[in-house]
Amino acid sequence: MVDKQLLKEVLDLALANGGDFADVFVEHKQATGIGAEGGRIERVHSGIDAGAGIRVLNGESTAYAYTNDLSREGLAEAARVVSRAAKGAKKDYNLDLRRVEPLVNFTIRERPDAVDTGRKVAAVEAADRAARAVDTQQIKQVMVGYGDVVQQVVIANSAGDYVEDERIRTRLMVQAVAAAGSVIQTGYEAAGSLSGFELLERFTPQSIAETAARRAVEMLQAKPAPAGKMPVVMAGEAGGTMVHEACGHGLEADLAQKKLSVYSGKQGQKVAADVVTVIDDAGMADRYGSYRFDDEGVPARKVTLIENGVLTDYMYDRLTAGKEGRASNGHGRRESYQHKPIPRMGNTYIAPGKADPERIIKETKEGLLVKKMGGGQVNTTTGDFVFDVAEGYLIKDGQVGPMVRGATLTGNGPEVLRIVEMVGSDLGFTIGTCGKDGQGVPVSDAQPTIAIKELIVGGTGHGKANGQIRRL
Amino acid sequence: MVNNALNIAQFALERAAALGAGMIEAYLNSGREMTVEVREGRVETMKLARDCGLGLRVMVDGKTGFAFTTDLSREAVENIARQALANASRTAADPYRVLPKPYAGYPRLDIYDPAINQAGEEEKIELARQMEKAARELDSRVNIIESSVYQDAESEVTLVNSHGIAATYRTAFCGLYIALVAGEGEDSQTGFALDYRLRFNELDAAALGRRAAERAVRMLGARPVSTRQAAVLLEPYVATGFLGLLGPGLTAEAVQKGRSLFAGRVGRNVASPKVTVVDDGARPGGIASAPFDGEGVPTGRTELIGHGVLKGFLHNTYTAAKDGVKSTGNGVRDSFKATPEVGTTNLYIEPGDTSPAELIKNTGDGLYVTEVMGMHTANPISGDFSVGASGILIENGTLTRPVRGVAIAGNVLELLKAVDGVGNDLTFFGGKGSPTLRVSRMSISGR
Repeated sequence: MVDKQLLKEVLDLALANGGDFADVFVEHKQATGIGAEGGRIERVHSGIDAGAGIRVLNGESTAYAYTNDLSREGLAEAARVVSRAAKGAKKDYNLDLRRVEPLVNFTIRERPDAVDTGRKVAAVEAADRAARAVDTQQIKQVMVGYGDVVQQVVIANSAGDYVEDERIRTRLMVQAVAAAGSVIQTGYEAAGSLSGFELLERFTPQSIAETAARRAVEMLQAKPAPAGKMPVVMAGEAGGTMVHEACGHGLEADLAQKKLSVYSGKQGQKVAADVVTVIDDAGMADRYGSYRFDDEGVPARKVTLIENGVLTDYMYDRLTAGKEGRASNGHGRRESYQHKPIPRMGNTYIAPGKADPERIIKETKEGLLVKKMGGGQVNTTTGDFVFDVAEGYLIKDGQVGPMVRGATLTGNGPEVLRIVEMVGSDLGFTIGTCGKDGQGVPVSDAQPTIAIKELIVGGTGHGKANGQIRRL
Repeated sequence: MVNNALNIAQFALERAAALGAGMIEAYLNSGREMTVEVREGRVETMKLARDCGLGLRVMVDGKTGFAFTTDLSREAVENIARQALANASRTAADPYRVLPKPYAGYPRLDIYDPAINQAGEEEKIELARQMEKAARELDSRVNIIESSVYQDAESEVTLVNSHGIAATYRTAFCGLYIALVAGEGEDSQTGFALDYRLRFNELDAAALGRRAAERAVRMLGARPVSTRQAAVLLEPYVATGFLGLLGPGLTAEAVQKGRSLFAGRVGRNVASPKVTVVDDGARPGGIASAPFDGEGVPTGRTELIGHGVLKGFLHNTYTAAKDGVKSTGNGVRDSFKATPEVGTTNLYIEPGDTSPAELIKNTGDGLYVTEVMGMHTANPISGDFSVGASGILIENGTLTRPVRGVAIAGNVLELLKAVDGVGNDLTFFGGKGSPTLRVSRMSISGR
């Protein structure tokens, strides 16, 4: 994309007025999107978004400029803009630009840019048909979205690092709308990973579509979720929205350093029950939040955040690591060249324990079973979080009972992690786009089946079941 | 730049026509942006940018294709013309996929304040500093400023289509945002404020700083309440969040595709008579105002719900052709990377004549909700929501103590019908706005 000599010139220009560190992030992103609704292919989009972001760090301040003019003059102008904003003491730097080696490697079997658009369209059509076939009466609408991205990046910095990388991500999502009488409900399912078109062999369009459609149809029969405090079991297949919200964000070093996290200054302290170990591993193969290098060119690795209940580490980018005189652990990510890197999650999970998942449900006298989590949100300062229950059931005397709808679970991160009572031996990942400071990045998260003593269920039901549960 | 953009657009039209496209539309956007983030008086981040791009839509025998590029060289433009045509060949033919014909004129709008560009960098940094300072001065318990941000952006839009539309406009906005923490003992609470404007001299940094500080300080000592049903007051920011949930269902696209909760209800009561909802793409001072939409159709005012009665839906050229009506000028593009889909511009609930203080006084017992969490998990198709909430308890018409860690749940249509009070304090948060709303009864889940 941009040759090394030009990158050196750009870094020199960026540091012309001083500064501790400079880097250049050059990106060329080719994206394809296909959408079907109403049983027809409505949208086939493709395009190229290319640009560069140049940054100078000086003390605790960041100057950042981006442009999508990748010519010599365009890059030089952006570098001059950033150097004017940076002003600082001149320091020695090293521009030998050695190639950094990754700690993990991924294999892409079928590059999406080499797959004929017709095959991608066929996958979307197959998903649409499969969803409709689940219930030809009650399924009223099906939306299928396919997307792939081939992102090439070149990263160079004044520490002399040089990284060339290619990230290929593929994703398929299905949303089904079911209606009966005046009740209208939706079901959603998605698969995505750092892989090529082979993703759709592991997760076939049919299976994704059927899961979404069944969920929509079953929700028609669901009763309103109860309101109030009760024990909650989260199934291994439910995903990891809770770990992402309850502690993931709070363990990002920028928030912790600014004391905007309930986990600030708690390294080495007990913050969760003994059975809780939390890991972020961006180096896992085939996950949506995987990468070989982060967006600052730091190799991805497995980071243990909480070990047997004790806080062991935070997620760092270069800036936050520098403030503590340590090295980044590979969590500096950005949405695109238009954004500066900040500490972000990759693939976050609670490590599996020893308990038999079925036994966890059997030992629950009364409560809520979460079979699928939806989106969530957290206030890291207070630790309060919420997440949506996309599929939930009541549990009574160890038996899974009727489905409920419209529930959100609310809790406080550190409080909830302390009352995790059992951790199962299973583990299931789901994918999402995580938003922070206006930047969206692909992530995945997972939990084993876990039992939590109590959480607030935000439903609308005020029936008998609720009264019984509230006495617990 | 404008001439250059028109030239690039014309070139794209020529190439797409030569490759066999029937109807063609080129949309170019070029602009600059600046963001300054201040913490403890120092500039923490300064971001400066320029960007541009082209989105090209083509129609061949009723099939539509789209492609975009940030590279505006002739070679790259030729390449996306080819891609757009290839993409079109894969879509289903649809006779309603058409482009608008030229219009006699567009509304004249005051949407470019040169003062935004003329103000110096130092002056803008100073606004962020003032906001931070005012927040700290309001109360000594304000102990962490997460960020105090000044932001502005300027863009030039050029739209050319093969029916002869060739139009441009220039627009700029500026804004301030602050997020902070107040602490007392072990307790920490957050507060924020934001304001985006078309005019530089309308920004009031000190007032925003104080508002954010008040929001955090009043929450100190918050704790959950017990599960109950009660009257709920929604602060403008929270009410605007619920309005955002209604937006998608008020588009003709959602109606035509069977995913609108308002489908088939035009002329019927869908909300309390106190509720009037308007979308106005030409609203004076509106951050989303522009003379024409993403397809070159003039913008304007559309009453969607009038005194509780559903009046109609928002349209772009496609949904209007399908329903045999005129586009309302709501073909909204997120950027040159997206096609013009039916969307909202300046969407708001008309204010009533009661002050928020009077609404609180008349409430008796209830919850004044000042923040919700997880609004993005609510379902715009069914209207069901369940969100985490915090706010202040209302007892005997008086705000008594802060509440956090509860959830409120219901259905947005039922919420609209249960509105029994509308404040006179319409406040915009970007392109959406609402006054304070009182809802007669809602489920609150707590301890």
